[in-house]
Amino acid sequence: MATPAPNPPTIRAVENLAWKLRRRQIVGSRATALETLLVLRQVISKSKFSNMEQLVTIIRGVGRRLVEAQPKEHSVGNTVRKVLHHIREEYHTATQGTAVTATTGFSISKFVLLGQPRKQTAPPKTENKGTLKENDPDDPDSFARGLKPVLMEAIQDVLDELETVYDNVSKNALNHIHSDEIILTLGMSKTVEHFLISAAHHRNYTVMVLETAPSYGGRDMAQALSAAGISTFLVPDSSLYGLMSRVNKVILGAHAILANGGMFAITGSLLAATAAHAHCTPVVVCAGQFKLTPLWNLYHEYGALDFGDPSQVLGFEEGSLVDKVDVVNPFYDYVQSNLIDAFITNDGDHPPSSIYRLIKETYDDEDNEL
Amino acid sequence: MDICTTYRHKLRDEQVNSAPHLRSTTLIATLEISPPLAAILALSELCATSDAGTMFELVKALNEGANSLRRNSSNPISLNAGCELFIAFVTLFPHDSVPSAVRADPHCEFEAIIEFAEKIIPHRQALTYRTKIAELSVDFIKDDSVILTHSYSRVVMESLLLAHRRSKRISVFVTEARPRGLGLKTAEALTAAGIPCTVILDSAVAYAMEKVDFVLVGSEAVVESGGLINAIGSLNIAIIAKAANKPFYALAESYKFHRLFPLSQYDLPSHNPGILSFPSPVETDRAAEKASSSASSESRSAPGAPLSSSITQEQIAQNNPDVDYTRPDLISLVFSDVGSLTPSGVSQYLVGMFH
Repeated sequence: MATPAPNPPTIRAVENLAWKLRRRQIVGSRATALETLLVLRQVISKSKFSNMEQLVTIIRGVGRRLVEAQPKEHSVGNTVRKVLHHIREEYHTATQGTAVTATTGFSISKFVLLGQPRKQTAPPKTENKGTLKENDPDDPDSFARGLKPVLMEAIQDVLDELETVYDNVSKNALNHIHSDEIILTLGMSKTVEHFLISAAHHRNYTVMVLETAPSYGGRDMAQALSAAGISTFLVPDSSLYGLMSRVNKVILGAHAILANGGMFAITGSLLAATAAHAHCTPVVVCAGQFKLTPLWNLYHEYGALDFGDPSQVLGFEEGSLVDKVDVVNPFYDYVQSNLIDAFITNDGDHPPSSIYRLIKETYDDEDNEL
Repeated sequence: MDICTTYRHKLRDEQVNSAPHLRSTTLIATLEISPPLAAILALSELCATSDAGTMFELVKALNEGANSLRRNSSNPISLNAGCELFIAFVTLFPHDSVPSAVRADPHCEFEAIIEFAEKIIPHRQALTYRTKIAELSVDFIKDDSVILTHSYSRVVMESLLLAHRRSKRISVFVTEARPRGLGLKTAEALTAAGIPCTVILDSAVAYAMEKVDFVLVGSEAVVESGGLINAIGSLNIAIIAKAANKPFYALAESYKFHRLFPLSQYDLPSHNPGILSFPSPVETDRAAEKASSSASSESRSAPGAPLSSSITQEQIAQNNPDVDYTRPDLISLVFSDVGSLTPSGVSQYLVGMFH
């Protein structure tokens, strides 16, 4: 089946975002997720398709292009997968009864699959508006016309989720932070910032922020927290282990959460988590569910890291040194699942062991490879 | 129809069929069929030939068939998994999936079940299970890795050979796996395929662990706790791997998911009082007498000789268990044809399947 090419304006939008991702003009998982979603919305609203497969192929094509542009920004792929999942769901609700579901053979393997954690079936948001007819020879656009409003709604849902993610994560901050506790955090994470500030409305506690060299995101974090009236200490990274015995809880942000319950997070997180492990201090990760990535850490711990700008470690002012040393500045750490106690997401709190289940619920298995 | 004959027939049948392949290709073993699958095939044949008129009678016939299979098998665990899965499948599954028109008529439904049962497992499906698992696990095998495996497992072989075909330079340590010594079979097959492979003693696992990147084992059954039942020695390897902080991966086809919740080794159905029993005092006396007499009469010139040569390998094997249970906390991941699962994921599947 020939795939209708998306028309020029949408191609331009996709390429535009791809370049921005490649040049790192957009960084951060939420920003990239939002941009991806906006581009996808444009693509869907502009593209022509007369059946489900064509639509899915178009979106996958766009997704592949964007993921290849910046494979380390996992939230791009996640957003595409999530949109695909929502599209399929809406399609099934819209065509309930009219579309003949392919009856597949029965097998033990399928029976075992029945045992998989039940997907939460959301109440159908849209009533069945007439019949959707695929591949109508007289009017090839009728399918797209019928489905597009529903799809726009679905994308709006994803968008709403992204926009409210900070509020929803910090919703039950009170249950995690108690009065007079000492919390340790590092780096600059908007999610963690919102979480801590929302707890500060009701609790009186102390935060220690590691400077987090070489990006020094911790300094911004400390500033933001103290501006919100939280008693904040900015401490050098090297004092981490010494301070850990006084810390009640470590709260970290995440870049991507993997299916095995491990995560990628800003450099220094592994150190903090390991130190916390040695002191039996709980490690809690705050993250939106758009960071859930259907990947298992495939041993490529080093290769999977993203490398930042070496000038943060060794600047050009030290020119005499620059050509004598190789400077690497890995941007993320891989933190194994056994070092993490809980993930606080915008949809409840989860132990690392049930992350794979959330991923199964959020995405369709067939989309794991775009 | 004698179900046991059918079962044996199924097992043997497949092995005979696969014999020519043994010589011609490196794809050995993949064509063989494992006990749970043979049990499922035997039971589905029973379904087809049974003259049961109602659902109740059919399930009863199946249960009887399963029981007689169990009685005639020396190691019923994996076989049991197959039987249970099939019976649960027959009793639970079709109710949701039969078209509603059929569901209205109880008799039609019953016939539909039998029909499903007949075609539920095409013979070659076992192959696709293993291929799927191999595809999943091959991503976890990185180039240049050293893998420790235990005994002989068809699905492990498939994964290793797939990795080899994908040009990953792997080398394999395989345990000898006494008392059955199946590790030798693995070593021969891998060496024939061109994978560097060394057989190590079961007692040398801890010694070798430092050089190993990860452990890959097959399984007899995967149980509800997320743990694993496998050839004796797997538990040792898992404990040592945990102590050395090395990942321990298990491979299990979904028909090996077994509804069982062992809390200790002694809860396994394969356990019987004879295992690890101490000899009665009379026997001990006699043995001691014999030992002392032989020690005094024969020369003391051979200090390196075994203390008592009166114990044979067979005697040791007789008193020892065939399989052991590996706790879920020692397992990193279970690869199955339904996906790669954490041990807690396995238990969720199993709980979901039977309730």
